[in-house]
Amino acid sequence: MKKTKNAAGTFDKQVNGLGFHLDEPISTNLDDNESMLQRVFSNCTDLIIRKLSLFDSKPGLVVYLDVLVDEMLWNDGLLDPLMEQTDEGSETAEQLIEQVKYRLSSVTKPEIITNGKHVVQRIVKGDVVLFIESASEAISFCIKNQLHRPLEEPSTEAVIRGPRIGFIEKLPINMALIRQQLRTPLLKMEKFSLGTISHTDLTIAYIENKASQQVIQDIKLRLSKIDMDSIMESGYLEELVSDHPYSPFPVIQSTQRPDLVSASLIEGKVVMLIDGSPFALIMPITLWHGFQTVEDYYMNFIFATMLRWLRFLFAYLALTLPSFYVAITTFHHEMIPTSLALSLAAAREIVPFPAMVETLIMEITFEALREAGVRLPRPVGQTVSIVGALVIGQAAVQAGIISAPVIIIVSLTGIASFLIPNPTMSQAISILRFPIVVCAGTFGLYGIIAALLAILIHLTNLHSFGVPYLSPIAPLRPSGLLDVLIRAPWQIMHKRKRHAQQKMELEEQ
Amino acid sequence: MKQNRSLFCIAALITCLCLLTGCWDRKEMDDLALVMASGVDLAEDGQLEVTLQIALPSGISSSSMSIANGGKPVFVVSAKGKDGIEAFGRLQQQLSRRINLGHRGVIVIGENYAKHGINQVLDTLLRSPDSRYNSYIVTSYGMTAKEILNSPYSLELIPAIGINKVQNNNFSISVKSDEFINDLTSNGKTSITGAIRIINKDSKQKTFLIDKAAVYQKNTLVGFFSGSELQVFRILKGHFKSANLTEQMTAPSKLFKGTVSLQFTKAKTKIIATISDGKPALTISLNVTANVLANDTSLDLSKAANLKLIEASFSNIMKKTIMTMVERSQKKFKSDVLDMGNIIHIQHPYYWKTIKHKWETIYTSVPVTIKTKIQIERIGRTQAPPYQQRN
Repeated sequence: MKKTKNAAGTFDKQVNGLGFHLDEPISTNLDDNESMLQRVFSNCTDLIIRKLSLFDSKPGLVVYLDVLVDEMLWNDGLLDPLMEQTDEGSETAEQLIEQVKYRLSSVTKPEIITNGKHVVQRIVKGDVVLFIESASEAISFCIKNQLHRPLEEPSTEAVIRGPRIGFIEKLPINMALIRQQLRTPLLKMEKFSLGTISHTDLTIAYIENKASQQVIQDIKLRLSKIDMDSIMESGYLEELVSDHPYSPFPVIQSTQRPDLVSASLIEGKVVMLIDGSPFALIMPITLWHGFQTVEDYYMNFIFATMLRWLRFLFAYLALTLPSFYVAITTFHHEMIPTSLALSLAAAREIVPFPAMVETLIMEITFEALREAGVRLPRPVGQTVSIVGALVIGQAAVQAGIISAPVIIIVSLTGIASFLIPNPTMSQAISILRFPIVVCAGTFGLYGIIAALLAILIHLTNLHSFGVPYLSPIAPLRPSGLLDVLIRAPWQIMHKRKRHAQQKMELEEQ
Repeated sequence: MKQNRSLFCIAALITCLCLLTGCWDRKEMDDLALVMASGVDLAEDGQLEVTLQIALPSGISSSSMSIANGGKPVFVVSAKGKDGIEAFGRLQQQLSRRINLGHRGVIVIGENYAKHGINQVLDTLLRSPDSRYNSYIVTSYGMTAKEILNSPYSLELIPAIGINKVQNNNFSISVKSDEFINDLTSNGKTSITGAIRIINKDSKQKTFLIDKAAVYQKNTLVGFFSGSELQVFRILKGHFKSANLTEQMTAPSKLFKGTVSLQFTKAKTKIIATISDGKPALTISLNVTANVLANDTSLDLSKAANLKLIEASFSNIMKKTIMTMVERSQKKFKSDVLDMGNIIHIQHPYYWKTIKHKWETIYTSVPVTIKTKIQIERIGRTQAPPYQQRN
């Protein structure tokens, strides 16, 4: 088990702060050990210390945390062989430990620990620690109780066609889900532990020879620099590891789908899995990944291409439609066809606010409705949607506070923002919409163009682990366009990928 | 330091953004008086009278109701002034909303004013950044522009949109303001607009009609084309869509009126200028293909001989009509409507330089030869009508 120096140091400090000297070796006296643990774990009611007699003769001490350990397995499978009488008579403590280790190794992977600090670490991890009378070593082994919910289809990434399975909060199961799809020893999964208090496990998965060593080294370096008490969710890491934590655009993709993770691994990406989170992080990514779904690759490529263009179009609408409306109605009236101009003027006739204020009010209301819909408990959520639709859609127009075209624009924008598959990308676009509306309301189309240019400049400056965010369009790599502007048929794309890989290998030589 | 620099960059960019906007003309749509059409007339006291037809957006939203109540979704205002700007200033004083010419689709020039000369209108038109160059110009015929703009039109909510659509569909001669100005500045200094008038003036079904073309020579209205003269003019100009021609082919009898109608599918006009003895002569050759739209004669058009007969007589009639049209433009209007000066300019550039300044007088007496050829491509039927005798 690898461990970052930094985290280990802090751990020492924390425990030593309690007034114990855990660096001391384990005492040969069982009672000493017991009292030491009871002091360290004072007020921890979930700590279980049980006495037993090994091989019917030697007293031993078993320590573990309640429920984290599979007690069924312990009682049925392990306790009996350890208690059984042996032919061999009285042995030395070392021989006894070897004997116990041997007997346990058929079921789990026992390890010898010599030091009080490691004992505590093992216990909090959920391992079982076994002390033996007169031995200066203890044996720790892992028989974890797998507490987890069933594997379900992730509700945020539903597909019509494709596997209906998603990651859950257990790291080993998530790892297994990936392993199930990629049956090769080249799939490497390196384990790390992060968080000075939480000691969260995380895994970096990649396919050897496919993933860039530079990216893997880069990720390891960034992980080693993290100094946090706890890592509760992949979101923590996404922010901590990201190249551009201050950008609204995601440079790391998060997903709950094992099939997407496997496909990304094959493409040479690196995936991070965190214990306790059903989200895997995929890196490096480009802007275009925000507009792709895993289903694009499962359905007819013509339809998938159409869907991609639909998403591009609606992403653009989500970003600019309200601002375009504001700019046109307040600055560029002559651009609207006459009959449309008249109906817009008619709709605006009774509205007391300027178009920009009107649009901003509605946009903010929509964002509030959306947030309310996510947060509120399901039965109440329905009420909100009815009230929202009725009050805002109908009454506001009838009362003459908001004009009907604005309602249309805002709802279209709302639908458009839901069309973007990556939620972080969708959020980025929703946030950027507001400054663009203000630009449009003050400078018209000129302001929109200026704001869009600013966003474009920002996008070209972004990198995801060394990969330019807009590649393969900027910098242009024509072969890469087969999977960006269109979803090329697999025959062509596969050939292209092999070709690209050969080229990369040649360059490396 | 680095942060300071990027802050400076952002500040500089925002300053540029604010300073480079040019005209900052933020106007809410409900603060605008959207002018749909405008008209100019010569008032009795010699002043210029400007009339605006302004759309009433509140009238549009409940349009069906307001029409039933006899209400109009437009608002017509007029004001007099020494020139267009002064009149506009007076109009603005009458209005609570700012006059916006961005959606003006039609400019009506009153007949009296057109005869007096339209220099002021052109000047205002060319200067104003608001007015669009693709609005149509029409000339009122036998009435003032004010009357035209005050008349309702049942088919469209806003009468100006009705005029606009009529022009847009090319049912009659249609000229946009940029074309109009372009033609006035060309070698012939002649321009054409549609001529609009109101029919059924006294009845409830008052409506307007554009069935004539106004001919301008040097900013002044000189006359109107109408009827078949207008039709051949349109064909010569290439605006042959819906320029159907109905002519008497045989003498009217008891059963048949003896007319045949043609629809033109292709029209090719070629004007050739020749110079002999230092004097120009022009040949207009017109090649048209046509379909028969209606046949009210006893002739069986599926017979080649009959078709030839019709072709020949149509060709003859068209030739005569073109001749009278050209003669009228030479003798009466003294206006080079077919822009033949330009033809001479292109075909004989050096000669043109010598006659350029006196072309207007030369034109009135320049000999014009006309050649027409007509080819009927389709007779429009697959079999002869039952009343026709087959033998």
